[in-house]
Amino acid sequence: MLLEIKDIDVRYGRNHAVKTISLNIEQGEIVTVLGANGAGKSSLLKAVQGMVRLSGGNIIFDGEDISRWSAPKRVQNGISLVPEGRQIFVSMSVEDNLLMGAYSRKEGDISAEIEAVFERFPNLKERRHMSAAVLSGGEQQMLAVGRAMLARPKIMMLDEPSLGLSPLLVKQLFELIKELNDNGLSILLVEQNTHMALQYADRGYVLELGDIVASGTPDKLLADEKLTEAYLGGG
Amino acid sequence: MLLAQQIINGLMLGSVYVMVAVAFTLTIGMLNFLNFTIPALFMVAAMITWAATAAGFHWLVGASLGMVVAIIASLIIERFTYRYMKAKYGDATEHALPLVSSLGFLIIFEHVVIMIWGTDPMSFNSPFANAQFVIAGLIFAIPQLISLALSVALVFALSLLLKKTQLGRALRSIAEKPDTATLMGVDVGRIVPVVFMMTGFLCALAGILFTINYKNVSPYIGDHVATNAIAGMVIGGLGNIWGAIAGGLIIGMVEVLSIHFWGAEIIKVPVWGLMLLILVFRPTGLFGHTRIGKGKF
Ligand SMILES: Nc1ncnc2c1ncn2[C@@H]1O[C@H](COP(=O)(O)OP(=O)(O)OP(=O)(O)O)[C@@H](O)[C@H]1O
Ligand SMILES: [Mg+2]
Repeated sequence: MLLEIKDIDVRYGRNHAVKTISLNIEQGEIVTVLGANGAGKSSLLKAVQGMVRLSGGNIIFDGEDISRWSAPKRVQNGISLVPEGRQIFVSMSVEDNLLMGAYSRKEGDISAEIEAVFERFPNLKERRHMSAAVLSGGEQQMLAVGRAMLARPKIMMLDEPSLGLSPLLVKQLFELIKELNDNGLSILLVEQNTHMALQYADRGYVLELGDIVASGTPDKLLADEKLTEAYLGGG
Repeated sequence: MLLAQQIINGLMLGSVYVMVAVAFTLTIGMLNFLNFTIPALFMVAAMITWAATAAGFHWLVGASLGMVVAIIASLIIERFTYRYMKAKYGDATEHALPLVSSLGFLIIFEHVVIMIWGTDPMSFNSPFANAQFVIAGLIFAIPQLISLALSVALVFALSLLLKKTQLGRALRSIAEKPDTATLMGVDVGRIVPVVFMMTGFLCALAGILFTINYKNVSPYIGDHVATNAIAGMVIGGLGNIWGAIAGGLIIGMVEVLSIHFWGAEIIKVPVWGLMLLILVFRPTGLFGHTRIGKGKF
């Protein structure tokens, strides 16, 4: 088991955002977490990254209990989050954003990997020295993914990466996720675009008001009529 | 000729303002925090330089000691203003409290110094009193030239550091989006003190050079210099270190020329009048400002 989330709770004051939930991800899997607004999806990812404190439960990563590790330490050890809303550094150049992605890495030369990201995203390459503020939404999402790749994670978590992208870009993004996964990267994907997510995922969980209300293979989730009506955007 | 000499003097004085303005602008640009202890750091380094020299030590001993004390003091201030508020309320940058607590530190520092050495201005016996040369009838004091060169060199070095190094990128990432910086693996709690160490260093250097150049110290010199530096920073553009050079030098010249034309009583009026005027016509200062962005996810 690569990542084991055991009975975790996240609270913001009196607001109980994640209610004692457990989920796990095997090495090499794409696991998706679905749910409506406010279901606690982002809180779950932030808890795994160490950006919010757990008020209960444990997170085991690669056999170690990381529940008390700081976020930077988790990044160093192979957990990367592509946050909701991309969170590109708009005061920096495209290239500096990628260099920030590699911040946690100790070993020397990353220029080859940066070039590899640029080969993959020619639009970014053209604008490498420009301010990241000039990028389109799609380009920013690619930059956010490229930035996370440069941390060389073992697991990449993506928080609603398809939000605001055109159907064509959404398709490209999922193909990219699939390709990264084929190269051995495990993926924890939070999405509201349920059909695309379930098409690419190995397994899924459905979150409702902080609780897991369903889980299983995409086929199983899609076969459940009540579920598709309530959470998965109709038949 | 006299006017040319005054312009030179103004630039030299301005170079001290530049260093202090850079210190202000760094904490504002990085942490959105107007650090009111800056005058105290300046003054403490100046007073220690004077006191050690007056006690018979080499001026370098005093200057080094002043530098060390200012940097340590700045780290303590970080611990009890910025970091305390951040730990307690999540995001110090959204509260006026760090500003108020830094003001508290300023007053305490000044009064501790007053308790030790009193309020009278003291004269510093400069080892470089006669180190100067004359070109075409214009006097150039060597220590003043050194402070001018140093202030420009420091801003240059700082801008390289911010642009080209890993530390610089980390600092800029914290300035824009502290949460995302953490997400990249930046240990914000360890990097922020670096800003405060730079603040202590810049203020102490300015204080030491001011003492050597103007041969006078008092517990209140920090207030005068730092308020002028704030005006210079605003004129140059908040958060912009290159703006701090221009702003600091402009303020130095306005001050010296105002004394030349109108006398010493009035100097605050042209300095602050100019700042307000520039704010009306160019609210972002002469050089605009780097983004003081803060994004959350
Ligand atoms: N910093 C915070 N302080 C207080 N409450 C918060 C905070 N962040 C999230 N919440 C609350 O926690 C609950 C879960 O929020 P979360 O952002 O995890 O949901 P989400 O599933 O990601 O929603 P969305 O699809 O809109 O992004 C919501 O009720 C939200 O209001
Ligand atoms: Mg969310």
